[in-house]
Amino acid sequence: MMSRSRLLTIARKELRHIFRDWQTLVVVLVMPVMMMFLYGYALNADAKDIPCLIEDPSPSPETRAIASKIDASSLFSVEGSVFTADDPAELFRLYQVRVIFRFPPDFARDLHRPGGAHVQALIDGSDPNMGAIIRNAADPILLGATLDVVGMRQPHVLDVRTLILYNPEQRSALFFVPGLMAVILLMISALLTSVAIAREKELGTMGQLLVSPLRPLEIIVGKILPYLLLAAVDGFLVLAVGRLAFGVHIAGNPWFLAACSLVYIFTALSIGLLISTIAKRQQHAMFMALGATMMPTVILSGFIFPVLSMPLPLRILSHIIPATYFLEIVRGIILKGVGFAELWKPLAALAGEGLLLTAIAIRKFKVKL
Amino acid sequence: MNGFRTIVWKEFAQLKRDKTSLRLMIMIPMVQMLLLGYALTTEVKNTPVAVLNHDGGSRSRELIEAVAHNPLFNFKGSAASETDLRAGLDRGDIKIGLIIPADFSRVLERATRLDPGPGGTPSLGALNGEGASVQLWVDGQDANSANVARGYLGAILNQWAMGDLRHRLEGYGMRLDQVLPVSTGASVLFNPSLKSTWYMIPGIAVILVTMVTALLTGFSIVREKEAGTLEQLMVTPLKPIHVVVGKAVPFLIIGIAELMLALNFARFWFGVPFRGTYIALLAFTAAYMLSSLGIGILTSTLARTQQQALFIIWFFLLFFLLLSGFFLPVENMPHWVQNVTLGNPVRWFMHVLREMFLKGSGFTELWREGLAMLAIGFGVFGLSLVKFSRQVS
Repeated sequence: MMSRSRLLTIARKELRHIFRDWQTLVVVLVMPVMMMFLYGYALNADAKDIPCLIEDPSPSPETRAIASKIDASSLFSVEGSVFTADDPAELFRLYQVRVIFRFPPDFARDLHRPGGAHVQALIDGSDPNMGAIIRNAADPILLGATLDVVGMRQPHVLDVRTLILYNPEQRSALFFVPGLMAVILLMISALLTSVAIAREKELGTMGQLLVSPLRPLEIIVGKILPYLLLAAVDGFLVLAVGRLAFGVHIAGNPWFLAACSLVYIFTALSIGLLISTIAKRQQHAMFMALGATMMPTVILSGFIFPVLSMPLPLRILSHIIPATYFLEIVRGIILKGVGFAELWKPLAALAGEGLLLTAIAIRKFKVKL
Repeated sequence: MNGFRTIVWKEFAQLKRDKTSLRLMIMIPMVQMLLLGYALTTEVKNTPVAVLNHDGGSRSRELIEAVAHNPLFNFKGSAASETDLRAGLDRGDIKIGLIIPADFSRVLERATRLDPGPGGTPSLGALNGEGASVQLWVDGQDANSANVARGYLGAILNQWAMGDLRHRLEGYGMRLDQVLPVSTGASVLFNPSLKSTWYMIPGIAVILVTMVTALLTGFSIVREKEAGTLEQLMVTPLKPIHVVVGKAVPFLIIGIAELMLALNFARFWFGVPFRGTYIALLAFTAAYMLSSLGIGILTSTLARTQQQALFIIWFFLLFFLLLSGFFLPVENMPHWVQNVTLGNPVRWFMHVLREMFLKGSGFTELWREGLAMLAIGFGVFGLSLVKFSRQVS
């Protein structure tokens, strides 16, 4: 029922459109690479050299030694010390330090008295993430430094040894490369496709195509094919830049990754198709694709923000978004090196969603004709 | 001056007629605020954790209780073997696996026992390197979440162990400070319960204001270009500067109104405290808007269609947002990237709003940031004015 030559005619026409429009090409080729580099450098979760201040009302060799030990740790950097901090809030406001270590007036003497010395860590909690990191780290660092200085051994009651799996060096590139794949493939498949079809509708050329000997299905498939190709090219591009610039290697089977990406592209294309059956103008298609597809994907898929920490309604919502499943699959293959046995559930959900959306889109498309 | 007033009046008349746009201008930010306010969290909660217990003693059971009852973690029960634990991590069912070795209770017993040492000084096992150990297997895909979750769990485990030691020492009639002469306490200022919304929502307000002012200004000029009415305006005695500034003023007012809306939404819906002053807020916002309006006008000189304008502003925003410290602090970035962010107006305004909301900072603390925004703003606005004038003449 579909003629190959007619299909290719449409596909070739669409490709020519794409290559004539510099904007689309920028979006397709330059933006992914730029995004990779931006994310690569901007998203660094490693906190180090957190600026801190020492409040030391009775400077002694002990407090100075402890301060220099805190400064020597990779997490903190001592910016200075003050005699008294009557208004710590003002110090936080003026000096942009994140934590103030408050030594008591008689620290050196307290150390040898019953009850011991008590050091207070005042933490700027305005950035809650940083606040949590400081709160968890302040106690062991301070304790270790003090015991070192007074020449006592640290009681090792419980030693927690950590083994970090999948991304032992904690490189952020390993985290964002899969995420960017999901976002960029969706952008090409859903945004560009729906705008391309809506443009023909808006200009009235869709009507012209429909009265030609071309069948509706041939028009649609022919229009979609070039975008499938572009999506595949971009997928490779992201992986190649990830490998060459950021050293991201695929731990699992690359062919399985390619197959899963095709399933995802199919689902994303069905979203694009669905939008184009609803939207009459390019503007509408664009807003629908950006607002109803791209935004939720960036926010709710776990691309940057952990889904597990969101409130329940949003966690449920995230399970409707195809990228959530795709992210799980891509991270599984690239980082964990797992395969079908572990990933069949998200894969089935992704494929099921794609089939459902395509069925709805085709139905709507036929009704429109 | 008269021409300038005419343009402002014309823009307002146009806006008033366009009810849909007005409604969108109010609705979209509210919806975004609500969705983003809940979704953009850097807190780490509900981390699923499973335990593999090789130890049969009572201490390991107490330790597991301490983890299982902690509200930050979602306790998923026990794993049967290491393979089982690893499979749970591979499937993504759990994010952390806690492994307790076979001799845990016995070693812990020895570590917290006081032996009569040589020369009559009692010695504690824990001081002689006889501590018990546990192992954590952490899913490190998301470095940030992994770090925070691991830190929390480590703190819980250590707290439990210290409590155990204190309890044992009291049994011997000793106090903890005899082996540990220093104790620490932590108190958190400005955001005591470390709520992510308190930090993220002022940031979201920045994004909203930028989008609204830059996009609307850009659109409003490009639309006139598309419709050909810009040429008509230019053959009137109006000067380009009148047109540009006249178009910018209504959006400046809308932007400030939008920010006030966002501010009140933050305060009364999300309970974020606003500790600064309104005067400082208005002054800094006006300084910032020079840049965001300037970006809108600059875009309109580059774009021929509204679609192009959307793409260009989207591009700008993505760039600015990533390098603003919105997600992760600027000081974590490499030095050369930090230098690049100095020219980013969003970075400055993001910092200013957050400091103002939570710390109550004002002109005294933030004048440098204000000057930076003014410098960037005059640069961008001036450039856009020059480009616009050159283009229309």
